[in-house]
Amino acid sequence: MSRMLRQMISCHWTAKRIQRYLDADPSAPLTPGEVTRLEEHVAACERCREVLGQHRLLHRALSLWTGTRPVDQAAIDRMRSVLEDLTEGRQA
Amino acid sequence: MSPARTPDDVARRRAFAEVVEPEIEVMLRVARSLTGSAVDAEDLVQESLVRAFRAVDRFDGRHPRAWLLTILRNTNANLHRRRRPTTVDDWELIHASRPAFGAAEAPAAEDVYVHEQLDAPLRDAVAALDPRFRSVLVLVDVHDLSYAEAASVLDVPVGTVMSRLSRARERVRKAIGPTLTTIRGDQS
Repeated sequence: MSRMLRQMISCHWTAKRIQRYLDADPSAPLTPGEVTRLEEHVAACERCREVLGQHRLLHRALSLWTGTRPVDQAAIDRMRSVLEDLTEGRQA
Repeated sequence: MSPARTPDDVARRRAFAEVVEPEIEVMLRVARSLTGSAVDAEDLVQESLVRAFRAVDRFDGRHPRAWLLTILRNTNANLHRRRRPTTVDDWELIHASRPAFGAAEAPAAEDVYVHEQLDAPLRDAVAALDPRFRSVLVLVDVHDLSYAEAASVLDVPVGTVMSRLSRARERVRKAIGPTLTTIRGDQS
């Protein structure tokens, strides 16, 4: 019973950190100790490993839409031209 | 005749160009999210560049993208308040796109799965999100902004970005969970 409870607590602890683990955002980094604990739990827990995989795949799926609709290169070039005008003193 | 420039002035202009030029693409992407239009996005970025240049002396050189996105947000609020205040709701625009014919590289197997299997359920799940949650999801997961950059665009604390993002992803994951599981099973 206590083993089950420990497992539940560990799953809950991991679930609250999985997204920060995958994002590795500088605003909210996990400590090295947290990373180790999370990775050890995921290695041993099939359910949390599944959740981790799903979040990873979701992020990949969402990122792909950026790749399929790139910003128009002509628009980028026009904004570069605006920037050049500014920095060359032709516009202010 | 243009006014004489000091070496400091020249260095300042050069530094500004070097910091800003790599951020133009992300500025255009986020501007499109904010305005919902490619044409309006260009107008917004152009005005933002002018304002950033005027304000460059107040920029401390740290986190240029967040600085520029904050200017973008403020400029948009001033220019387009009457139309779409902080919508960042371009999911339909993004989703309506398709890869161009004649792409130079064949897509990876996982990418094919993503397109063919996840397309419809993902669209439905994201469309069903509360706009506040969807905005964060689009900025961070579609536009690849950091938490701090998304916070700058939305004018909310980083903690709010994190909590909204977490909820948005969990809702989407749970909504399409069976599809994700099936795909994993098929791949193994």
